[in-house]
Amino acid sequence: MIERYIEQVSTFAGDIDGLITLIAVVVGFWFVLVEVVFLGIVVVFRQKPGVKAAYITGEEKHQKRWIGIPHELVLLCDVLIIIAAVRVWVNVKQTMPPAQETVRIIGQQWAWSFVHPGPDGKLDTADDIKTVDELHVLVNTNYHFKLEARDVLHSFSVPVFRLKQDAIPGRVITGWFKAKSTGTHDIQCAEICGIGHGLMPARIIIETPVEHAAWMASQSATASAR
Amino acid sequence: MKTRFARAQFNARTCGSALVGLLALVSAACSDPHTPAPTADGAELFQLCAQCHGPQAGGNRAVNAPSIAGLPQWYLEAQLRKFKSGGRGTHFDDLSGMQMRPMAMSLANDAEIASVAKYVAALPATKPAPQLQGGVADKGKLLFPTCLACHQADASGSEALKAPPLNHASDWYLFASLGKFRAGVRGTNPADTSGALMRPMAQTLADEQAMKDVIAYIMTLKK
Amino acid sequence: MSTSAGAAEHAHEHAQHPEHSHEGGHDAGHHEGHDHGSFWSTYVFSVDHKMIAKQYMFTGMLMGLIGGFFSYVFRMQLAYPGFHVPGFGVVSPGEYNALITNHGTIMIFWLAMPVLIAAFGNYLIPLMLGCDDMVFPRINRLSYQIFLISALVLIASWFVPGGGFGGAWTAYPPLSAKSQYNLTPLGSTMWVLAVGLEFVAFLLGGINFVTTAMNSRAPGMKMFDIPMVVWMIVIASILFMGSVGPLVAGAVMLVFDQTIGTGFFDPVRGGDPILWQHLFWFFGHPEVYVVLLPAVGIVAEIITVFSRKKLFAYKTVLYTALGTGVLSFFVWAHHQFVAGIDPRMANVFTATTVLISIPIAEMMFVYVATLYGGSIRLATPMLWALAFIGEFIIGGVTGIFLGSSGSDIYFHDTYFVLAHFHYTFVPIAVIAVFAGVTYWYPKMFGRMLNETLGKIHFWGTVIPFNGIFIPLFITGMGGDHRRIYNYNNFPDLARPDLQHMRQFATVSLLVLLAFQIPFFINFFLSMKKGRLAGNNPWQANTLEWQTVSPPPHGNFAELPNCYRGPYEYSAPDRESDYWPQNEPS
Repeated sequence: MIERYIEQVSTFAGDIDGLITLIAVVVGFWFVLVEVVFLGIVVVFRQKPGVKAAYITGEEKHQKRWIGIPHELVLLCDVLIIIAAVRVWVNVKQTMPPAQETVRIIGQQWAWSFVHPGPDGKLDTADDIKTVDELHVLVNTNYHFKLEARDVLHSFSVPVFRLKQDAIPGRVITGWFKAKSTGTHDIQCAEICGIGHGLMPARIIIETPVEHAAWMASQSATASAR
Repeated sequence: MKTRFARAQFNARTCGSALVGLLALVSAACSDPHTPAPTADGAELFQLCAQCHGPQAGGNRAVNAPSIAGLPQWYLEAQLRKFKSGGRGTHFDDLSGMQMRPMAMSLANDAEIASVAKYVAALPATKPAPQLQGGVADKGKLLFPTCLACHQADASGSEALKAPPLNHASDWYLFASLGKFRAGVRGTNPADTSGALMRPMAQTLADEQAMKDVIAYIMTLKK
Repeated sequence: MSTSAGAAEHAHEHAQHPEHSHEGGHDAGHHEGHDHGSFWSTYVFSVDHKMIAKQYMFTGMLMGLIGGFFSYVFRMQLAYPGFHVPGFGVVSPGEYNALITNHGTIMIFWLAMPVLIAAFGNYLIPLMLGCDDMVFPRINRLSYQIFLISALVLIASWFVPGGGFGGAWTAYPPLSAKSQYNLTPLGSTMWVLAVGLEFVAFLLGGINFVTTAMNSRAPGMKMFDIPMVVWMIVIASILFMGSVGPLVAGAVMLVFDQTIGTGFFDPVRGGDPILWQHLFWFFGHPEVYVVLLPAVGIVAEIITVFSRKKLFAYKTVLYTALGTGVLSFFVWAHHQFVAGIDPRMANVFTATTVLISIPIAEMMFVYVATLYGGSIRLATPMLWALAFIGEFIIGGVTGIFLGSSGSDIYFHDTYFVLAHFHYTFVPIAVIAVFAGVTYWYPKMFGRMLNETLGKIHFWGTVIPFNGIFIPLFITGMGGDHRRIYNYNNFPDLARPDLQHMRQFATVSLLVLLAFQIPFFINFFLSMKKGRLAGNNPWQANTLEWQTVSPPPHGNFAELPNCYRGPYEYSAPDRESDYWPQNEPS
């Protein structure tokens, strides 16, 4: 359902979209059923000359069935949705596959800055590549991100990944993603962070190993020129 | 009672169909491709700046906003364009630049940049009160010759040399900017050609004390 | 009436003001001239529950108009970014944030709360229970006065240096706590103070509602003979009292952080910004039901009268309301799934949140069952009530997507959320309010509203309402995040198809706002020119319709006795299809 409006680029995007489709089917059924019955009753039971309304208390057993049976069916649907939601949640947020690469993501008023590990593959070394507004990642690679905020709350959101996580000053929050195709996409801030909140667009650039190496080489060249 | 309800149904139908028609018209109207360009005058656009820089553009140190009132239009325009295009405010350590950048991005085009710059340039320039401690103006005077080549002896700046006036700047802002140039936070972006001119000049200052001294001297220069 | 402490206080106040005694209501003329007829004592410092209700209603509507104007300004900015908005000017990012923040704050705290709870609660509770006034009339007056001050503080906060607060109605610190971050040193503190004062006003009002409903019922009115709307307002008041405490504590901490430099929410000094989110949402989620319950109560009154049917399973409705109320205290963290809480906690809150669909769904089933077998008349109040049911279901089912942790990862803080809660709040604060106003208008002002203007207003509101928010569901699915000033800076979102949907929503809003004009014409013209209503124009059972319209000070010429439940419509073996509660068998 969602994939009609926005691409699926992370490995878990399909799980989340599947859950959304499942919920859409279940609640869509109830929605259509209730609206049809409701509008049907309004049309059928319009005032007619000489016809008095029925007197139904709704307190007797055979009458309460009309509420009781749907009630139990709704409960059944709820349990189904809860199980499906928890499965997706555990997969995306509660468990993490081992990291192949790690990046640091920092939110501040009003930009995203990123620390890439550089050629040695380790953070916090001299060859780290620091950028603003541009995150370069490898395709088909498990990434862990360390999310930080310098001033107020921000929220790191990559819609094509279906990924969202608030950044909180004073904490480092770890999460993961794995991109499944190359391309360039939006990163948004999803938590209001001041007057520049709507104006801190960043881009995520998903590259093949060759492209990524070329980018790193160009960055090191600029750095040594400084 | 019955007649009232009967009439009510008729009214409901007429109103409903009239409205559907109206909404159809509306939806046709809003897909009109001829959208005119934004037209906003400088005073109106300046409300955006006033939130940090103050109603008279006198600056506010608490939010890293320098005094900008009365700066020349060419300089304001050049900096706004740099911020908007990413030539400034995109260095990893330029936190105050990152605060400014989205504001420049919210200006739609060069016409808006020009009109707000014109408005700010026309605001009366003030001499912000000194806030830095420890600078010795007499020592700074000896360092100033490096600056005056571009910024002129009275620090009034030169458009031809892309050098802004310094004689109305806030001292804390000059200090922060010199520090950024020395550290390579400004003047290293390939898109920032005028900043690249400034960076080696800032690097001639030996340490923070030298920066404070030269700023103390600049603060003594009147318009 | 009763021998409780509350009633004793009531009697005490009467001793000081003999003009409040029961026999005050022999003729309508007396009502005009009570309290010696002074303008100030009648309209401004009145202790009459009906006048206080009207004060709340008019203040709420005025604030609603301001909130509507704000939505017009920021929707114009979103549809046509950077343009000069007629009547406002170019919208800067700071102004945009202040507009959305105050739009949300006003619509919830200064429209939904005062109109649904305070105005209808004040007007209906004494009349429907068959007593002459609230138990504490002066506390009631104090409640309105504090509310008015809170509204003035909020309005003033938009005009102080720095402008109004722009940190969203949820006011998450550190943004809301430090002026260095939000750039509105005065505005943010005044915003918190205004909200705090407003809470005080509703706590005072709530005390009155609960005490009056428990102590001042007409002789013979048992618990299950109380009209549903009274129950709903009472339950809502109890929910409000139960949930607001933590937020008031949080508000005090926030004001201290803002003004005297404490660090409750400052991580640098050992505070925790997430603490505020827990305190806020522990209040914020029950708050949704605080405004929902009175709305469903109003709808219950209207659908029974206009379908001439007994309410299906009265006790079930009551129990589902109680169940919703209790459950609503255990769902708050679904607003915080991705806010940095322990991910395991999300599973618990997913379960509670999705389960709350059961009582709400049941309530909707009951209403549909009530309509079954009825003799339905589509007068304006009934149209509004039916629209409430039809539209609120959309709000309900879309909530499931957000309550499920897995899908909320994507939908959190997108326009999908925004469209979802507008599909709950607009039915509550707009549709149900219009249902109530059109239904009780004849009682309030003694004259009928014009049906044609009423129908024009109805269709002109409900159709564009869907025109606004259906496109926003879609832009939300496309990745539009909330509180974004200008989508053109995001290459993936600057697409023309999405922009057309944003424009369609904005134009629908303009149509909706334009169609409020017939309502105001109708509302004020009918006060003078409307057909005289008589006591009971809708042939309803509840006690407020058994006195003259408008009721005099003191409400009833003779305080009524109650002989039966409120929904005995079309009872078998009776000629008439209604059976007033006070008619002896």
